[in-house]
Amino acid sequence: MTVREMSVSDATGLAAHAGGGDTPPPARPRSRRRRGLGWSGRLEVLLLAGPAVIFFVGFVILPVLMAAYYGFFRWSGFGPATDFVGLKNYITIFSDPNFQSALLHNAFIVVMSLVLQGPIAILLALLLNRKMRGQSVIRILIFVPYVIAEVVVGTGFSLLLSTNGAANGMLDKLGLGGLTQDWLADPSIAIWTLMAILTWKYVGFAVILFLAGLQGIPEELYEAAAIDGASYWQIQRQIALPLLAPTLRIWAFLSIIGALQLFDLVYIIWGQYVSSVAGTNTMAIYMVVTGRNAGNFGYGNAVAVVIFVISLIVALFYQRFVLRRDTAGAITERGVQ
Amino acid sequence: MTLVTAPPAEPRLRRAPKPKLPWGSPVVYFVALAVIALMLGPVIYIIIGGFRSNSAITVDPAGFPDPWNIDNYVGVITSGQFWGQVGNSTFVALATTIGAVALGIAASYVIARYSFKGRGFLYALFASGLMFPITVAITPLYIVIRSLGLMNTLPGIILPQIAFALPTTIIILVPFLRAIPDEIQEAASIDGCSRLGFFWRMVLPLAVPGVITVGILAFIGSWNAYLLPLFILNNESQFTLPLGVQAFSSQYSVDTARVLAFTSLSMLPALLFFSLFERRIVGGLTGAVKG
Amino acid sequence: MAGLAAVAAATLALSACSGDNGGGSGDGTVEMTLWQNSTTGPGQQFWKDAIAAFEKENTGVTIKMQSVQNEDMDGKLQTALNAGDPPDIFLQRGGGKMTAMVNAGQLMDLTDRISDDVRGEISEGSFAAETYQDKVWAMPLSVLPGGFFYSQDAFDKAGISDTPTTIDDLKSDVESLKGTGIAPIALGAKDAWPAAHWYYFFAIRECSPKVIEETGDSKDFSDDCWTRAAEDLTDFAAIKPFNEGFLTTAAQQGAGSSAGLVANRKAAMELMGAWDPGVIASLTPDEKPLPDLAWFPFPEISGGDGEPGSMMGGVDGYSCSAQAPKECADFLNFIAGSEQQTKYYEAFQSPPVNSVAQKSVKEPYLQQILEAYNSAPFVSQWLDTVLGQNVGNALNVAVVDMLAGGSDPQKFIAAVNAAGAQG
Repeated sequence: MTVREMSVSDATGLAAHAGGGDTPPPARPRSRRRRGLGWSGRLEVLLLAGPAVIFFVGFVILPVLMAAYYGFFRWSGFGPATDFVGLKNYITIFSDPNFQSALLHNAFIVVMSLVLQGPIAILLALLLNRKMRGQSVIRILIFVPYVIAEVVVGTGFSLLLSTNGAANGMLDKLGLGGLTQDWLADPSIAIWTLMAILTWKYVGFAVILFLAGLQGIPEELYEAAAIDGASYWQIQRQIALPLLAPTLRIWAFLSIIGALQLFDLVYIIWGQYVSSVAGTNTMAIYMVVTGRNAGNFGYGNAVAVVIFVISLIVALFYQRFVLRRDTAGAITERGVQ
Repeated sequence: MTLVTAPPAEPRLRRAPKPKLPWGSPVVYFVALAVIALMLGPVIYIIIGGFRSNSAITVDPAGFPDPWNIDNYVGVITSGQFWGQVGNSTFVALATTIGAVALGIAASYVIARYSFKGRGFLYALFASGLMFPITVAITPLYIVIRSLGLMNTLPGIILPQIAFALPTTIIILVPFLRAIPDEIQEAASIDGCSRLGFFWRMVLPLAVPGVITVGILAFIGSWNAYLLPLFILNNESQFTLPLGVQAFSSQYSVDTARVLAFTSLSMLPALLFFSLFERRIVGGLTGAVKG
Repeated sequence: MAGLAAVAAATLALSACSGDNGGGSGDGTVEMTLWQNSTTGPGQQFWKDAIAAFEKENTGVTIKMQSVQNEDMDGKLQTALNAGDPPDIFLQRGGGKMTAMVNAGQLMDLTDRISDDVRGEISEGSFAAETYQDKVWAMPLSVLPGGFFYSQDAFDKAGISDTPTTIDDLKSDVESLKGTGIAPIALGAKDAWPAAHWYYFFAIRECSPKVIEETGDSKDFSDDCWTRAAEDLTDFAAIKPFNEGFLTTAAQQGAGSSAGLVANRKAAMELMGAWDPGVIASLTPDEKPLPDLAWFPFPEISGGDGEPGSMMGGVDGYSCSAQAPKECADFLNFIAGSEQQTKYYEAFQSPPVNSVAQKSVKEPYLQQILEAYNSAPFVSQWLDTVLGQNVGNALNVAVVDMLAGGSDPQKFIAAVNAAGAQG
């Protein structure tokens, strides 16, 4: 039996039953329930999801809507917004070459984050998934970069990577002075420096997520394959990896959205001005530089809305084409009554 | 390459004391070591930086502390403010984590396992929370918190942070909860278990790896948050750790070495939390499915 | 404490929309809040002492102080102001921000509340910085002109006997300094404004005071002098006088900043405002002021329209919020008086505005700064303050671009004009 890509429950259905595939919903006299939740079901939905929704709408959605409203104004940041300019801010944003280059940078960061962090994190997760001595310590140490606040990471890396910083100093001391670079200000290198820092910081997050995802794979599958004579890496590639796919897709989603919002690290390490010179400008940096720091708060809010819309479009595409297999049936047909 | 040795197929004994863990292959340790060296390099730089003076860092960025100046670390550890801030941060982070996990798992369960109109919209609502740069929405949020009378209080930080943590929590938990096979749920309802009872007695234990993961993420997120506490808290006795760094910046300059020492110490409690819980990212569906 | 917080919370909840806080409560006690940006050291201590002294003289008045880190102050203040929940007394940056606050009705008009003593002791020029639409909106406390802070030892080693009076002198001094193995001039271009200050100074040498004021209103940089200033800057930068890696050097943020370079004798001088000695002092190996620190004003150029001796600088001041009780103005008068101003100078190491307090200034470089400032024929505020935040910000960006080699004087002026056209 080939282990193609299946959902986890397919796989466990496999393990649990001698037959294969998804067991069809039994034809029982429950069919009348499938047309919608009964009142008790609705009550449960309200009870369980209600608090979260209230919190979320009150503290996130409401402020966001209020902030988006200011995007239609020219606002100095003080007092009520009185200068309604309609879509003018948005037109300016899209015609500004600085914004366009920032958008390109974000796109690059999105793609490279996936390409760099994904494989490394998968490899590490697979390596660390086996029980062995020291596994806890290794996991903790890999996670450390994620724990450190972005502000501190920024300060530390500024000291390390500035032209007179520790990295170049170390190269000098080791006699490798010829390799010193302008890690931060050189436009041909800076974006790669940024990618290295991002990988460093966020690979731990991916590893943790993948480790959790790997726990959902029943041991029986590994055992069965081992009995069949598969090597460790064959098992990883053909069982663990495909079953990890849903977790992978969720991680990729979070990574993409996070990459579109990137701000703190770039702002602290490069500063708001040099980031555009060095080619590491992001949309969020553009938002702060042209908005808050220029006293054009309405414009900044408009940029925020643009970032939101772009993220939303990306998310919708992602949902439709990538997550579909995970949500297929879940949102439309499945879901036990 | 070593073959994996299938552990003895006795999941029912999992609760019994485990035999000592075997050593992994040397290749694994080597790779792990290389990765850790890369990960920790900058961290060690930050920690060592705390042992130097600002002048030394300027003059010789790549040098070792000479002499090892413990004043910065000692100054931080002996300051009552530091421990007060640790206490505040811990309280806020724990409350945020508990709140976010509780609300998040309840909402995720609904989205994952109930079928109703508007379920997709609910999921999209939470997911969209990640997509708006929150720095821009801070003024309206301030007004909301103020109208609730929560200015200058720790709950004024905790409640919004719970809301901020919900999107990631729900996005991660929904697939975990959905992965629980329907057969288990049907078996439970045959046994007379209501949906809520199923949730309580079976889903929660099975979702432990996911729950631990989102708990850790919520804790770290709260631990490092500085924007909201900065705007909401005016009383120094309530400051959280990220605000404590302010004390080392004078009007025009920053005591870099002190800041490095302070932040090196601040990351320890968060690491402690992580180490306590990461062992629990095990379990899951094993043993739950038996024919 | 918890009880007090509960009462405070309840009161806030009840008055959520009125935003009235700190007003007199009819039984004679007045409570005010003060936000200032010294979170540590003698600066913070000054405020504590000043508050204690004021409270002693004015029984029934209490002031609660909040120290907010400098970088975070603007955001926190703006949020509080817009939520109707501002502190009573707070740091005022002046310029476009102050204008915006005035237009939103968020500041207290101080024009008629300044005491006669204070009026007499503080120069008109200092008040001018805090004036908008002919009304005074903040009490000036410290004047911070820009100039070169340099290490006398470094100059001696390079064989420089006199401080440069013209740009050509400065250029040759730079060459001499290069020979001694340290960076001639430290520049923290990562924060942009230190680089922009170079442009501003060339501008006040090239442009007549009239043109500067006109451009401040019109935001139109078509006068030739602005372009000449940009060319001066690129010419000067071409001799590579700045420290290596100036694009990634911060101005004052701790170790590795341009101030740190001067403090540790890795650079000979930097062009900076009068707060620099305090910053340098905190970054030296022994954390004491640099013993051989000295000052000279920005050199003159040949052929410019600017008046020789013109200076540029900022003014630190404090404002009262529109809702603050009248005791707020009393407090401002108190700290602007000669006694408190002397203490201010001692704490912050920066020139006080009060002429009586100025007599107690001891440091030679501060005395030189005050002398040059008081005898200057024309004093401008920092040009990004004069031009407003929008144009000022664009100017900062354009200067960094130009210094990084990404643009030339023509493109520079075009970029600034474009921002100016937006108003």
